[in-house]
Amino acid sequence: MKKYIFLLIIVFAGISSCEKDDFCVQNPVTPNLVLRFYDKDNVNEKKKVQRLSIIAQGKTDSLFTNQSIDSIAIPLNSLAQETIYTLKMNSIDNTIINNQIATLTVKYNPEDDYISRSCGFRIIYKDVNLEFTGWINSLSTSQITNIDNQTKAHVQVFH
Amino acid sequence: MYKFFISIILLIFCVDVYAQKLDSSKTKKDTITYKTGYGLRLGIDISRPALSIVDKSFSGLELVGDYRISKNWYAATELGYEEEITFEDFTTSTSKGTFIRLGANYNAYRNWLDMNNEIYIGMRYGFALFDQTLNNYKPNIGNQYFPSNTVQTPVTETGLTAHWTEIQLGIKVETLKNLFLSASFSYKIMLSIDDQKNFKTLYAPGFNRVFESNTGFGFNYTISYLLPFVNK
Repeated sequence: MKKYIFLLIIVFAGISSCEKDDFCVQNPVTPNLVLRFYDKDNVNEKKKVQRLSIIAQGKTDSLFTNQSIDSIAIPLNSLAQETIYTLKMNSIDNTIINNQIATLTVKYNPEDDYISRSCGFRIIYKDVNLEFTGWINSLSTSQITNIDNQTKAHVQVFH
Repeated sequence: MYKFFISIILLIFCVDVYAQKLDSSKTKKDTITYKTGYGLRLGIDISRPALSIVDKSFSGLELVGDYRISKNWYAATELGYEEEITFEDFTTSTSKGTFIRLGANYNAYRNWLDMNNEIYIGMRYGFALFDQTLNNYKPNIGNQYFPSNTVQTPVTETGLTAHWTEIQLGIKVETLKNLFLSASFSYKIMLSIDDQKNFKTLYAPGFNRVFESNTGFGFNYTISYLLPFVNK
């Protein structure tokens, strides 16, 4: 009987030493800014952005290029208090002459927030302020008090 | 299913044997009593210094002691000092401080003659007073598009406390006269623990790694010497 107790404890120790805190399963840990695109003439209707390319100011590589989508999640630079994105779309063809440009300026206060042993610290963005130019017609909001998750879109973009 | 039947049969068999033994014990009584030492047993954990040499991120010392109260019961305590650097994917933290564990051991082993070995179950209340330092951390930004910096400024918080209970299972063997070698395993449940501001305590001295569920495990290998006050 004693043998079994020891065995049980060892098995139990083995199982519980692989607790969930060994692996970071939370994804993403740091939230991205989620934009969803809507039709400016019919605000309840989602509208895809044709051939969208996105690049942050000061970067030489694009976040992604030439995709037709109605929703994007864009990371914010946690080392600065501002991230400026240039959004290029082309609703006609692939020629440069038909490209339309918009800029989205996001200002915020990044804050470190502890999650867990395996995930470490994440960044949450406080007092987010959005400004835009170009083909974006309007935003559903220009201020977000706190971005700490991305379960749903933070901003609706009308174009 | 067969296992079940076999168990049942074995159980009946056991009961049988037990009944027999009772009968025979009535007939004659053993009048010789074997004396064993009662007293204070003091020792040191030998795994901690060894671990300090092998593992550069750990240093510690643990002293153990127990006092025999009755035939099977011992009042027991452990106290010590530990310092551990915890390396995780995104954080590095140091925990250092002192701890004490107080409780009792029950010896479940029936010794032969005058032997004084133990297979024991122990219960403890544990307390630790420690400092924790968040040495550095790298925010988990989860993308490669923007860089992230490792924050190198250490942040320390002192005077943190932890309270826990633990159950121990162990063996003690008298190898030389009054000299005991012991190995034990413990399972700990945290009652309350202070966390550093904006961070969590990942290691508490005397408790070891604090798991997400506020539990922990420990091993002890000790060598101890019995100062017998009286034999009875």
